[in-house]
Amino acid sequence: MKQCRTIFQDGDHRWLAIVRDPNRAGHVIDTNEYLIESGGDSLLCDPGGIEIFPAVFSALCAETDPNRVKAIFASHQDPDIISSLALWLDFNPGLKCYTSWLWSSFLPHFGGTAETFASLPDEGGSIPVGDLDLEAVPAHYLHSSGNFHLYDRGAKILFSGDVGAALLPPEQDDLFVKDFDQHIQYAAGFHRRWMGSNEAKRRWCERVAVMNIDMLCPQHGAIYQGEDVARFIDWFDQLTVGIL
Amino acid sequence: MNAPESLFRRPAAPTSESQLARIVRSNEEIKSIVATAFKINLMALNAIFLAKRAGTAALGFGVLSNELRRFAQDLTQQMASLREMTAESVTAVSNLMQQRRLDRILELAVLACEGREIPGLELVMARAEGAMTGKFQRLRQFDKVLHRALEATGQLVELGGVLARSAKIEAAYGGQYSSSLMQVSTDFADVIDQIKRSLEKLTRERLIKEGS
Ligand SMILES: [Fe+2]
Ligand SMILES: [Fe+2]
Repeated sequence: MKQCRTIFQDGDHRWLAIVRDPNRAGHVIDTNEYLIESGGDSLLCDPGGIEIFPAVFSALCAETDPNRVKAIFASHQDPDIISSLALWLDFNPGLKCYTSWLWSSFLPHFGGTAETFASLPDEGGSIPVGDLDLEAVPAHYLHSSGNFHLYDRGAKILFSGDVGAALLPPEQDDLFVKDFDQHIQYAAGFHRRWMGSNEAKRRWCERVAVMNIDMLCPQHGAIYQGEDVARFIDWFDQLTVGIL
Repeated sequence: MNAPESLFRRPAAPTSESQLARIVRSNEEIKSIVATAFKINLMALNAIFLAKRAGTAALGFGVLSNELRRFAQDLTQQMASLREMTAESVTAVSNLMQQRRLDRILELAVLACEGREIPGLELVMARAEGAMTGKFQRLRQFDKVLHRALEATGQLVELGGVLARSAKIEAAYGGQYSSSLMQVSTDFADVIDQIKRSLEKLTRERLIKEGS
């Protein structure tokens, strides 16, 4: 089973990170799922692949009531992001799934009806959850051509999808980045190969560098916290991507 | 028959959606029992101190408070293993949900062929039916294990009830502390009743309905 850890709490405003599955089959990439709660409602960021649904669902149940999950945010269209959609909808047919307009007619191949999807325009927009207005931040071409990150102004947390992802060796299973220089080697190859556009990367770095971010939460690997957030943005800005 | 919802012969079986919902309800109930067990543990600690203050008049009460404390710890442990079991049953139910989805899609594919012969279809259907049966049996197995564990917990809670009642009797011999000891033992009885009710609810939430 995966672990469910609280990474931010202020009253009923809470971020849960669902991470590290010791029983995960080795051929399936490890993913992080994040649940944002406010006012009795919650939104699940990148709920993950169909194979890991049981692990995510039961970890979530241990910490909160899954009936409260009213929405899903799909940063992009990859199977490790959203192929579990049909099972979440089986449990709660009224779920709303927020995703880029690019993918809102592709994701129904994973399940859902016309009412399920809420398309985000390229410039992003806000997503209501309880008392919060979360911001969908454009991150196109990083790596997907229709790609969003999700910013919570109150918690100062940015969910950054595949940006910041690191493919860590199994023994390195800390929730937060402990030693940036040691950590970043596991992120380098991933970013060079999966990210396709230096120009898009530049724009993203400029956009997030001026945002107030305490935690940058990627979909794979450890969370960047405090100074490591700026360190990561600088590092990413310097990296040349999109070459084999 | 052990796989009532096998391919193409699917009667109105309980939907997996409601199975997951049942697991969630069970899990919420388990959480509330854990919280109550924690409360009993604290109450028992207080009762132990109270009995110490009351001295020889409350020796029996002190012994019972100790037992109640052990009861709360045993209950917490049983709830932890129940919780692990419900997590595993999520896997079993999810597998069944996936299989049903595949079945549904396969069924539509066959229908779309409008009676044309499909080479190898028999094999595919047999395989799908086998997979469904296997997954269903696993869930049934799980339901049994879960139920047996609940029965064991029921017995433990029964014992807790007996302890609380005995504490009430002992409280009567508490001399000048009698009324405060009585209050404590009444509180014990109340929370144990609460656990009993939760447990009854839990027992009603079966993964598989009788007769299916
Ligand atoms: Fe991706
Ligand atoms: Fe990914």
